[in-house]
Amino acid sequence: MNILWGNIFRKRLEEESLAYFLGGAPVFAELGKRSRIQLESLVHVRTYKANETIFETGDPGSGMYVIRSGSVQVFERSASGVEREIARLGPQDFFGESTLVVPAKRTASARTLEPTVLIGLFRADITDLAKRRPGAAYRILLCIAKVVSERLHVADNELLRLRQSHPECFEDTRS
Amino acid sequence: MTPPSLPLSRQRNSRAQAALLFTALTAGIATGLAIYSSAAVFIDLVQTATAVLFLPLLLSLVLAFLLDPPVTLLERRFGRSGAIFVVYLLVAIGVLLFFSWLIPHWQTAWTSLQADLPRYTARLTAFLRELLDQVQAELPFVDTHDLMIRVRALSDDLVRGVIISTPKSALRFGGLLLMVPLFTFFFLRDGGRILRSCISLAPNRTFEMMHDLTNLITTQLAHFIRGRIIEATIVGLVVYIGLSFTDIRYTGFLAVFAGITNLVPYIGPLIGMVPGVLIALVDLGIGGEFWWIIITYFFIAQVIVDNFILIPILISRYSNLHPLWVIIAIIIGGKLYGILGMIIGVPIASTVKIVLSEIRQYRRSFSLIDGNIDLDS
Repeated sequence: MNILWGNIFRKRLEEESLAYFLGGAPVFAELGKRSRIQLESLVHVRTYKANETIFETGDPGSGMYVIRSGSVQVFERSASGVEREIARLGPQDFFGESTLVVPAKRTASARTLEPTVLIGLFRADITDLAKRRPGAAYRILLCIAKVVSERLHVADNELLRLRQSHPECFEDTRS
Repeated sequence: MTPPSLPLSRQRNSRAQAALLFTALTAGIATGLAIYSSAAVFIDLVQTATAVLFLPLLLSLVLAFLLDPPVTLLERRFGRSGAIFVVYLLVAIGVLLFFSWLIPHWQTAWTSLQADLPRYTARLTAFLRELLDQVQAELPFVDTHDLMIRVRALSDDLVRGVIISTPKSALRFGGLLLMVPLFTFFFLRDGGRILRSCISLAPNRTFEMMHDLTNLITTQLAHFIRGRIIEATIVGLVVYIGLSFTDIRYTGFLAVFAGITNLVPYIGPLIGMVPGVLIALVDLGIGGEFWWIIITYFFIAQVIVDNFILIPILISRYSNLHPLWVIIAIIIGGKLYGILGMIIGVPIASTVKIVLSEIRQYRRSFSLIDGNIDLDS
């Protein structure tokens, strides 16, 4: 009996599951277990090869990505075609969150540096969840909003610090 | 392929495997070629296999779109499957009540209709003959003989068709009654998941856009389908109420017919009027009631209720088709699926238009920055 059925009904190891991973990622760290399972059914797992473009500047953006494994380079390309790296991201990092709520174009490009698994969370799924389970959508969005506003805070402070230390750099931008 | 250092048994084994693989591959390729070369046969097979499924799948899709809002509303309390069951229960109660009210009426109406239908068509042909005689008296060169025979054949066909094919269609209806709720259940429960797994086949680079677009299109389609069905129902109801002020018989039939034909813009309402006007003409004669029926059909149901109230509220401008496309869609639909095709041809054409204009809108709304980049470089 056990030999026959044991395998089928074997629970997935907690550590292997997507929900567990999502709970570990800083963006969703504060989500409860139930919301995490909701989230698991909401996200899309995409597998990328090394050096594959995830999105380009100007692409219509509709969501954010969390890196499950591998690494991602976010970069800008100038008009002359020279690339400048903005960030290099690893597992549990996320990017592209600015288009999650409001439809907008991507302001930077992203590509994988090695074989990478990304978890995509898109606006359409969130709005759909908001209709079906407003509570769950609220919790997930609040989690993201917290992290994003923290980031904004840090960036604001950084900007303030820069303005104080290099006031000459900001003179011409203000005028 | 096999390295020579392998033991003999291993080698023989792998040789046998290779032979087996070879046979299987050859057989597979031969079968594939046979099927592929007779593509016509294959398409025919697919067509016959899907012909039975076409109507139930279509109906269940429409029903799924229709029942999705109440299911979504109840989902918070009962969970998805539970919500579907609750909605099904309510719908089943409604249908049961409707049928328990309908069946006694239906039987009497049906027997009298069987007797009346030849009378109405006879009246129609007589009326046409009078008209044609008049035409011929004034324009003697017009050959009307052929037309008369055709009209008579057509009306005979109609009578025969209605009387004979009803048991047959009742059988089909039974099949639908079994399939449609089942399909609808699964569309309602797993529709999102089915769509997801379809989109997940898209390559990485286009996936995000496809996902977003699919969602926009589904939303628009849901609006459109729900709007059309609600519109047809309300128009049918208005016609029913309007006609029940008069002594006209078969009010129920006429209202249902008017509602269904209302799914086809421009031409549908006109065709929806025909049986009502005909019956009024034969049974009631031209008088106050006759004009009231015309006013009900035309001014109240079409102009006031449909054009001024329902269409602006329910139907988005996206789905507006040019009259030319409407006629083309009706003709193509009729050629492919007969009367059913004529009714669903226009809604299907509208869905195609919705898909296209949604894609265009999407591209347009994201084309601004591209222009800027072009300017920069």
